[in-house]
Amino acid sequence: MTRFILRRMGISALVLLLGSVFLYVLAINSGDPLEDLRETRAENREQLIEARIRNMNLDVPWYQRYWIWLVGVSKCFVLACDLGTDRDGRNINTLLISAAEATLRLVTLATILAIIIGVTLGILAAIRQYSGFDYVVTFAAFLFFSLPVFWVAVLLKEYGAIRFNNWIADPSVSWTATAVIAVLVGVTLTSIIGGDRRRQLLTGVATTLFVFLAVTYFDSVGWWRRPALGLGLVILMALAAGVVLTSLTTGLRNRRVLYSALATVGAGIVGYFIFQGWIVEGGYGRLLLMYLISVAVAAVIGWVLGGWDRGVATWVSIGTASAFALAVSLDQLLRHWSGFLEREPRPISTIGSGSPNFEGPFWTGVWDWGVQLILPTLVLTVISLASYSRYTRSSMLETIGQDYVRTARSKGLSERVVMTKHALRNALIPITTIVAFDFANLISGAVVTETVFGWQGMGALFIRGLNLVDPAPIMAFYVVTGTAAVLMNMMADITYAFLDPRIRR
Amino acid sequence: MAIVAAGALVLTGCTSDSGDTGGDNGDGGAEQTGDTGDTGDATGDEDQATETEGAAAGDTAKPDLGDIETQDDEIYYSVGQDEWSGFNAALSSTNSVYNSVINDRMQDSFWYWGTDGTIYPNEDFGTYELVSEDPLTIEYTISDEAVWEDGTPITYDDFLYKWATQNPASLFSGGVGGDDEGEAGSDEDGEGAVFDSVSDSFARYVSEGPQGEPGGKTFTVEYDEPYPDWELVMDYAFPAHVAARESGLEPEELTQAILDGDGDTVRQTAEFYNTGWLSPDQQLPDPSIVPSNGPYSLDGATWDAGQYITLVPNENYYGPPPATARLTFRFAAPETHVQALQNGDINIIEPQATVDTVQQIENMGDQFTLKTGDEMTWEHLDFNFAETSAFSEQNGGLAAREAFALCVPRQQIIDNLIAPINPEAEVMNLREYFPFQDEYDEVVQEAYDGRYDEVDIEAAKEKFAESGLEEGVDIRIGYSAPNQRRTDEVSLIKSSCDQVGFNIVDTGAEDFFQPGGALEVGDFEVALFAWAGSGQISSGQPIYETGGTQNYGQFSSETVDQAWEKVSSTVDPEVHLEQKKIIEKELWDQLYGIPVFAFPGVVAHDASIENVIFNATQTQVAWNAEQWMRQ
Repeated sequence: MTRFILRRMGISALVLLLGSVFLYVLAINSGDPLEDLRETRAENREQLIEARIRNMNLDVPWYQRYWIWLVGVSKCFVLACDLGTDRDGRNINTLLISAAEATLRLVTLATILAIIIGVTLGILAAIRQYSGFDYVVTFAAFLFFSLPVFWVAVLLKEYGAIRFNNWIADPSVSWTATAVIAVLVGVTLTSIIGGDRRRQLLTGVATTLFVFLAVTYFDSVGWWRRPALGLGLVILMALAAGVVLTSLTTGLRNRRVLYSALATVGAGIVGYFIFQGWIVEGGYGRLLLMYLISVAVAAVIGWVLGGWDRGVATWVSIGTASAFALAVSLDQLLRHWSGFLEREPRPISTIGSGSPNFEGPFWTGVWDWGVQLILPTLVLTVISLASYSRYTRSSMLETIGQDYVRTARSKGLSERVVMTKHALRNALIPITTIVAFDFANLISGAVVTETVFGWQGMGALFIRGLNLVDPAPIMAFYVVTGTAAVLMNMMADITYAFLDPRIRR
Repeated sequence: MAIVAAGALVLTGCTSDSGDTGGDNGDGGAEQTGDTGDTGDATGDEDQATETEGAAAGDTAKPDLGDIETQDDEIYYSVGQDEWSGFNAALSSTNSVYNSVINDRMQDSFWYWGTDGTIYPNEDFGTYELVSEDPLTIEYTISDEAVWEDGTPITYDDFLYKWATQNPASLFSGGVGGDDEGEAGSDEDGEGAVFDSVSDSFARYVSEGPQGEPGGKTFTVEYDEPYPDWELVMDYAFPAHVAARESGLEPEELTQAILDGDGDTVRQTAEFYNTGWLSPDQQLPDPSIVPSNGPYSLDGATWDAGQYITLVPNENYYGPPPATARLTFRFAAPETHVQALQNGDINIIEPQATVDTVQQIENMGDQFTLKTGDEMTWEHLDFNFAETSAFSEQNGGLAAREAFALCVPRQQIIDNLIAPINPEAEVMNLREYFPFQDEYDEVVQEAYDGRYDEVDIEAAKEKFAESGLEEGVDIRIGYSAPNQRRTDEVSLIKSSCDQVGFNIVDTGAEDFFQPGGALEVGDFEVALFAWAGSGQISSGQPIYETGGTQNYGQFSSETVDQAWEKVSSTVDPEVHLEQKKIIEKELWDQLYGIPVFAFPGVVAHDASIENVIFNATQTQVAWNAEQWMRQ
């Protein structure tokens, strides 16, 4: 096994090295680094050209330039990377760090969201195969998959930023709009729920009515500018989470688990009043501390009340506590929306990762940090969500058709157990592989998304290097993304080898 | 919460109040500057840049805002997504518009560019006077009020240091001005130029350096030979006392070392000069090493790498205070600017001048103002005079060039490609002056009789026959591709000139300008490209003189050579004008090439912001950023 891993690593290193030579040659031959200077009439044209040549070592042959770069990069092995400077003499190391930071911030949330939503949609579509819902998901997946990013981004800026900002200045929802929203939500929910006609109709009408009333209520109390959840809704959300988690794991008939979840919610309410001051004031350290305390308390509750099922009970309690914490945070965020609006009358920007020189209390700071993520995250999520939902659907369908699923059904297990325990777990194996690869891809930057939304991420670094025929940023980009891709590839290979001895040759 | 809200309310109340007074003052100032008495036009009317007739001299200078107070407000502006490199944009590695647009707000000098490329003195900083034309001597007087942000007066020492940082030969062997230029990298010490300065004209043309008293406010500069662009040489200086202190020297010690020609001591400051004022790690520098002498400052500024940099007012500024307290430069790609303007993320933009952009901005409504004008970059068609070319004297000669000039549909090119962006655009008929400049009409009258204004296929055919060229001769028009506008231009030319007997071939290529590309090898009959005007008087010389470094078509004319000699050997504007008339006339008569148009430029801004004025020069719309303010 060690030999196999070593060989894989050797091959990966070689691939990286050859790739770097190849990319370097391509990069320096992609244009003329002096182009902008050739057309200038500046008096110091000659010096400018000379300086550029000196900065970029253009006076030595390409293999020497490559060698200079390689020597710098090889210092990474002693943790003293020298990725060189760009053509204006800026340090690539710092550029790379800030670019990677921006990209990770942008991409992480989008990836997680895409995975969660995509996989969920895929599962639901598989379970309700050939239903209206399935067709809608399939249609939407293909639609999103084929959308050009720059176009979606520009549209989102128009509607999500410019028009939303105009609307939020004096928000009101017309009766028609309210009705349309209500009907849409109702239809969607109906198609997911399933069941016989009568039940479907009932859910549809009830949901539509509920949404219609809710929107009208929100509109009348000016909720759009001064939203809040309130303790009641927070408790309701936590309770719902507890019930759902219990039913997914052991089923509601297991009273011990259900009670521990309910007890956790009770403890949460007590904690809410004890820590009220901290919660309102905020601060990442405090929030983390409070979360850790709630997790610890939840674990104890689960352990004590769980009885013979204490393992599951503990996890359900912790899950419920997390849901409670999340709901409380959401409540605080919503309560500070009006404060944020006061500071930023046009909250959603079309460019940048935050409002310049933003100052305000903690929760409005979170708004500023998060609200600029919404549009780019939406673009990225919508586009990568498509492939996840398709993969999950087909993989799930395949598993559902397997003999052991039929066996499980025929031996009288409930549909919930069949789906979650037998089908889903097996269906997720191929998805995991895809996720690993996809993440490597995503780090390489959402080039277009970054440019369109004015984030200086990896993609921007690469594009800029390419436009200016400046190899240093391009190669820095390659070092990170190439390594990530090769590493992920290698990890997948090694994992397979562990799983399947036949591959180890 | 409530207190903060109340505070915010109070603040907004304040800003709108002072905004009103500022606006009044602005109008009052306009009345003073507007010599024509037409106040409406003086404060940045959009057509100002393109209006040539009756433009009074003061119209292209900064408006006088009178007594203004700094408003507690913030204005967003963006040039592009390129990050700020540091305080020193005079280095070869940092000399770009992205850096200078920010640094210029902190570095005043004796003069600034007006909207049409006129040089205006900046009297808050100091004054200068031409004492003698031969030898060319100028006396500079720095204002007594003018100080660096840390309180140190701006003196002769700073300009002496400016001279030293351009590597004069008397300080450093291998510096500029020596007899063997171009060998800067190979002097006996094995070192290149000591200071990495991008410009060397001060040291090159003033070999003895500026003369004055250390610590004094006046100094004289004597040029070795008359130099027409002497005004441009004395641009901003850096604080010599900071460079000395940071290099372990006393400021007096540094000044004395330069005066004594002690190159080794001066050399000690080179490392700081070359790197100390840069911020490669993207952190704001310590305010004590970057004292501003302009309206804005880095002391108290914020910089979020990759996002924005915000400048704040310079507390010790001696001129009128900036109109707005916080000036934020956002680093955003140009293609995002229009929507960002609409959403208020950027308040002033200078987008790429395309028809689409202009229409988009026009459709955004009254809240936004669009200003178009000509830039100081101009498109032209240059003939190749090399033997292989159909237009050389050995082949078609002047007749062939005339035939080509007669069939190029210049007006149509403007109407189809430029007018939709800048409705005021006109065919450009000169090379050394732009249509928006005062001298333009006068020179055109002398140099060009309008014979190529209209396409005349019949006349062109006659000339073509006279030239003796074969029917269907290939004319390769080369340019740097991809460039849709130039492709369109070539196809317009083709549809007109093919009727005459030419066979126009579009040879636009990516490597047109590169070493080994068509321009260098001479594989073209006509080169289509643009020169970015620098506002200098003598910069055309290498383009038009025999054997000039930028005379790609190998044009040669004794008349032109002699005229350029005269231009570059005097500082008399009268002579410049007279000689340039001769040059322009000869270039038309001999047909060096055909000027086509000045690039259209677009500025759009939030209509609530006052004093945003289109500027044709490379300083762009930010040239008077300290005067921008919200109503």
